[in-house]
Amino acid sequence: MISIAISSQKGGVGKTTLSVNLAHAFARAGLNTLLVDADPQGSVGLSLTRQSRLLPGFYDFLADPGIPMERLIVPTRLETFSLVAAGQASDYEAGNGSSGSHLARVRAFIRNATARRYDICLIDTAAGLFGVTNDIISTADAIIVPQQAEPLGIRSMPKLLEGLNRLRIINPRLNVLGVCLTMLQQGLAESTEAASALRHLLPAEMLFQTSILRDEIYIRASAKGLPVGVLENGKGAETVFDSLRAEVQAKLARSRAAAIYQPH
Amino acid sequence: MDPINPWLDPTEVRHLAEQLLRPVAPACLSAADAGFDSSFIGFTSGGVASIAPESTASAPVSAPLPTTHTPAIPPLPQAIQPAISISQAPPAPSVSQRSPEPPPAAPSRTRFLQRIHIFRDWLAKNFQATDIFVLDREGKVIFDESGHGRLHFMARNLAIASRGSGNIHVKIGPAAILEVIPCETPYGRIVLGALVPDALPADHINMINEVLLQTASPA
Repeated sequence: MISIAISSQKGGVGKTTLSVNLAHAFARAGLNTLLVDADPQGSVGLSLTRQSRLLPGFYDFLADPGIPMERLIVPTRLETFSLVAAGQASDYEAGNGSSGSHLARVRAFIRNATARRYDICLIDTAAGLFGVTNDIISTADAIIVPQQAEPLGIRSMPKLLEGLNRLRIINPRLNVLGVCLTMLQQGLAESTEAASALRHLLPAEMLFQTSILRDEIYIRASAKGLPVGVLENGKGAETVFDSLRAEVQAKLARSRAAAIYQPH
Repeated sequence: MDPINPWLDPTEVRHLAEQLLRPVAPACLSAADAGFDSSFIGFTSGGVASIAPESTASAPVSAPLPTTHTPAIPPLPQAIQPAISISQAPPAPSVSQRSPEPPPAAPSRTRFLQRIHIFRDWLAKNFQATDIFVLDREGKVIFDESGHGRLHFMARNLAIASRGSGNIHVKIGPAAILEVIPCETPYGRIVLGALVPDALPADHINMINEVLLQTASPA
């Protein structure tokens, strides 16, 4: 199994949209996929029914060693796609604590997911590089960084890169898959200029070719708690995430791990 | 006005990004564990060992192997390696339905941490044990994958309470028993703690105790 953290320095950059739809793309490609909501303020959990939201989740696993993994996993209509909600534990509210305090439990979670034969585990983390998010990145095999195509977001890039460099001292095998531009508005000069500036700033291999456009269909999908491809007229947006998924797999393949990530 | 460049240094950003694309040499940590002195055979063959099972000393960052992390220590002979890893193991029947596999032979000249990882894999595979930890004679943590100080505290107290009367277990969740197995070694009493789905029968406890003793003090 490969674990990929989806993390950003800033909040509200489309992290959850990317996580849900990329996970769905992996699952549709035949990979046994687990999407974990590790963002107490995120929307993966809010996409679930009220009953499902009462289930124990990721933060309960961190807090209580007595909770078996089976109780956390929420199946979906797609056999290869399962979710773990954020949960009910007290840390659900804070979502942080000091870095390192949950490292062993996060590792235990990943071991448990691996033992359950998931091919890929995407973890939608809280924004900012601190607390549990740091512990997740310190454990994950790889990281994808969604970055909103707007000037303020781009200005936060040095802080993010510094943070990731620090975390790679703890987790030297962390594979930084790259930055994915999100919420790109092609009709807005500030947005396209920000995207262009980022492309000039970063090495080409650090930036995904696929960008996520700002589109009302994502709001409609999130309102229904569904991946965008499930909606009527959602197939176009779905292909964007297929393209992103293919890029991720190609990057992983280049990391000499190709065989593990091929669909069954 | 340029909305980006006045706010950041492009050269610095580029440098930071390029750094992320380069491999990082993993740090080596001292393996000197409290409670074991220099006569302990596990540390006589080398001064420094990597303590992290995830350590990738020989694997570049650009080539992570997510399910089989390359250990920094030399590979063991095939005969003493676990047959399959936990992640590859098929769903195991409940402990009460089957006999545990015989323990792996403890290699006498390998480092303690290497042997304890073999022991951990054997315990997890045969007894569905998780969150395994070992405390030394002073109650300090030698090995831990639970990350729960409360479990250590509980195990320490249970071990003291049960002094001389063998193992003890306590139910801590709907399907989780904390099994505490004190083990007398030539280096003092160590305490094994692990979560198991059901309390273990006496013959299994005895077997675990023997293997742990062999792990701590190989012949």
